[in-house]
Amino acid sequence: MTIASVVDEALHETVGLSTDECLKCNICNEVCPVARVDDRFPGPKYVGPQAQRFRLAAPVPINLDGRPVHSPDRTVDWCSGCGWCTTACPAGVKIAEVNNRARASMRAGHRPRLRDWLISQTDLLGRFGAPFTPLANWTLQNRAVRWLIELVLGIHRKAPLPLYAGRSFRSRFKRRGGVLGRAGEVDLPPPDRAVVYFHGCAANYYEQHVADAAIGVLERNGFQVIAPPQNCCGLPMISNGLYPAARSKARHNLDVLAEYARLGYRIVGTSTSCTHTLKAEYAEMLDLHDEDARAVSEATWDICEFLLDLHEEGRLDSGFGRIDLDLPYHAPCQLRSHGIGLPAMDLFALIPGLRAVDMDHDCCGIAGTYGLKKEKYDIAMRVGEDLFRRVEASGAAETACDSETCRWQIASATDRPSRHPVEYLAAAYAAADAAGTAAGTAH
Amino acid sequence: MPSADVAVIGAGLAGLLTAVRLAENGARVVVLSEGNGALHWAGGPIDLGFRPGARTAAAVVGQLARRRAHPYAVLGADVAPALDWFQRLTGDLGLPHAGSLSGGFGALPTGIGGIRPVSIVPEAQAATLQPWAPGERLVIAGHAGYKDFWPRAVASSLARPEVWGGFSRPDRVVGVALDWPGLRERRNLNALRIAEHFDDPDWRAAALDVTARGVASTGSGPVRVGLPAVLGLRDHPRVLEDAIQRFGAPVIELPLVPPGIPGIRLHDVLRAKLRALGGRILIGERVARVEVTEATVTAVATEAATREVLTRVGALVLATGGVAGGGLVGDPDGAIREMVLGLPTDGPPIERWLHGDPLNPASLPIAGAGIRTDEALRPVDPRRPARGPLFGNVRVVGSLLAGQQWMIDRSGDGVALASAWRAAASLAGTTASATRSSRTTEAVR
Repeated sequence: MTIASVVDEALHETVGLSTDECLKCNICNEVCPVARVDDRFPGPKYVGPQAQRFRLAAPVPINLDGRPVHSPDRTVDWCSGCGWCTTACPAGVKIAEVNNRARASMRAGHRPRLRDWLISQTDLLGRFGAPFTPLANWTLQNRAVRWLIELVLGIHRKAPLPLYAGRSFRSRFKRRGGVLGRAGEVDLPPPDRAVVYFHGCAANYYEQHVADAAIGVLERNGFQVIAPPQNCCGLPMISNGLYPAARSKARHNLDVLAEYARLGYRIVGTSTSCTHTLKAEYAEMLDLHDEDARAVSEATWDICEFLLDLHEEGRLDSGFGRIDLDLPYHAPCQLRSHGIGLPAMDLFALIPGLRAVDMDHDCCGIAGTYGLKKEKYDIAMRVGEDLFRRVEASGAAETACDSETCRWQIASATDRPSRHPVEYLAAAYAAADAAGTAAGTAH
Repeated sequence: MPSADVAVIGAGLAGLLTAVRLAENGARVVVLSEGNGALHWAGGPIDLGFRPGARTAAAVVGQLARRRAHPYAVLGADVAPALDWFQRLTGDLGLPHAGSLSGGFGALPTGIGGIRPVSIVPEAQAATLQPWAPGERLVIAGHAGYKDFWPRAVASSLARPEVWGGFSRPDRVVGVALDWPGLRERRNLNALRIAEHFDDPDWRAAALDVTARGVASTGSGPVRVGLPAVLGLRDHPRVLEDAIQRFGAPVIELPLVPPGIPGIRLHDVLRAKLRALGGRILIGERVARVEVTEATVTAVATEAATREVLTRVGALVLATGGVAGGGLVGDPDGAIREMVLGLPTDGPPIERWLHGDPLNPASLPIAGAGIRTDEALRPVDPRRPARGPLFGNVRVVGSLLAGQQWMIDRSGDGVALASAWRAAASLAGTTASATRSSRTTEAVR
């Protein structure tokens, strides 16, 4: 080991110090979707590497007298956290992560704004809303109520909020005998025949059809699905700078998931932003570098990544039936942060008749909870505008996208459904079965 | 089924051109890049080579090719066909480039009030290749509040004859600072934002009106109009046409500090062309390691959080750039490391990496560090070149090639073009051993 390698390691260990590599080349400002549409955000370079000179490198910077040091540039709050700056940076600077940490340090020691706290509580909202689905959905769709919510809370009246789907996925899964326990509490097949499913809040409370499709596809390929106790991955809190709350969510998830990971089970998720949080953000944002975090990170797979891996091992049942459809596909920003390419597009190519087109647009605008906020809704709509117009012009009846909040944004803006890629795989299996039955050669 | 016959690492000019050429020849190509490439900083001209006093780029290419250390010693003959292909390609993509190897040099004024000798330029800088007529004046015009371009300062520098270094020059240079509509209230104006404004036909018409009146206020007679390089991003050809028509005079786009709009335009059309040919381009992919079997690269692993993604490849093209681009890193102990394969490098000893005036290109010998190759651009050991290529299916292109002092020779783009052309030709018929696959390295399966 040379002195150089020690210094090198020390420099690259923390997100904050990666700014030392910044050449001030402006590529991040050029790709920033928010700076593209609004002058109030000066761009990632100014609030990130540039402003970082004024921040200390510690996770929560403090002054000599012990008080937290705030970002010298409060405009960092206009950052949507899409992560394009980090993706495009040729020097490896973790710009988005620097900016998110700066926002968290601005929030530290203050009581969070009620709105920011509330929209971060995704499992709380799910747990209390789901039992009252008809009433809750009426409320969410009532224009007068939404106007009032905007006035009181600051959640934009037109922001795409999901609708409750009644009973949660977990309680339905339990009813049909699904395995819900922690490792050690349940009898399980070996890791090559079972996976842990991280459903996230969206599939649990709003989009059970996504969970059903995922489970159908996984079971068809010989995997039993386990859904151990879990809560929100914590990303909405991370995005809103509420790190202590996010850490407590993370801790709980890690406790449960690490047991499985250490036994060799893979953790598969249908929300590409949850899986990215488990894989990368617990370490990069929340400074969770312990063995549990490492084990879970290594074991976590986005569902399309997982299925494509099966395919490349020759283990994926590729008996897909025909789906005749033109399908515009939007790759979410969080998927790009995975660094795994566009596995959904590769899987779409296996389905006969399906003509998927990668829309090649940077960001749909919503960025998790960003576009819900009254003061940011308009920015979010302008960020996604070109995507929405091109979807509409394509004449396609529906779109596909891996991330739930993006789907809700795109569906709401283009007035047509947006589905998870795994739904098409499930439908293609169903089409194959139907064709088989029709031909008298059912499985 | 996705798969890569060839993986190109790096998305600058050399990487993208190699990928497009390979894809034109029918290969399935994936471009993996840590971030956006250096084209995003580029100001427009394609530098094939320049020496003070030289009459044509062809002559400089010939001179450099006679120098054993320069990449042109291997690639010199390919500059002409590569340039021909490049000009046809960019013409088809709506971004034609004027000039030729034998057509001589012109002086392109820049956004800091200097000049840059050029031989191949995009259409919006083509007027610089024509000699100035007697009495012809240059009007430098721009928006008054735009921090990256100060028209009067640029003009007062260009008004000094010695700045033009013996090139044909205008009789008179005048600067006019204008008020382009709606920009006065804007904060954080950069080249990209103004370029997007020019894409809007209504705004464009108004801004060109203001500019035309400003130009007219400087007098009458033959004139060329110098504007910051912000004349549209997606609709650039139409913006240029409108501007020339509105002024009734040739227009010259002056290169600025980054972001470089002319470079971004070129990047965008090359990327679109590659995608149209079925190629893939993945940005934000840092190569962690490669898998090698018997001097053949079989797979490239890119970082993906705590795991990695493995892409099986039939061949690998290194377009990672030199010291400035991150393809090479100099260690404090004097080693110069190639970052993907750990190839042996050729470069000066550490005492001579830098010396003298840091702003003088001649005091940066480290810029000439790089990889030595054989005629097919396969890497060799610089100390034992006769032993032949280190890897049979690896090619090295662009500024990673050793022996270029591109700031002095101004041959960086010519090397990119010719090496892309040569590498693609020598990889014709390559196919992948397998497909892109995702794999855990440490997680139990």
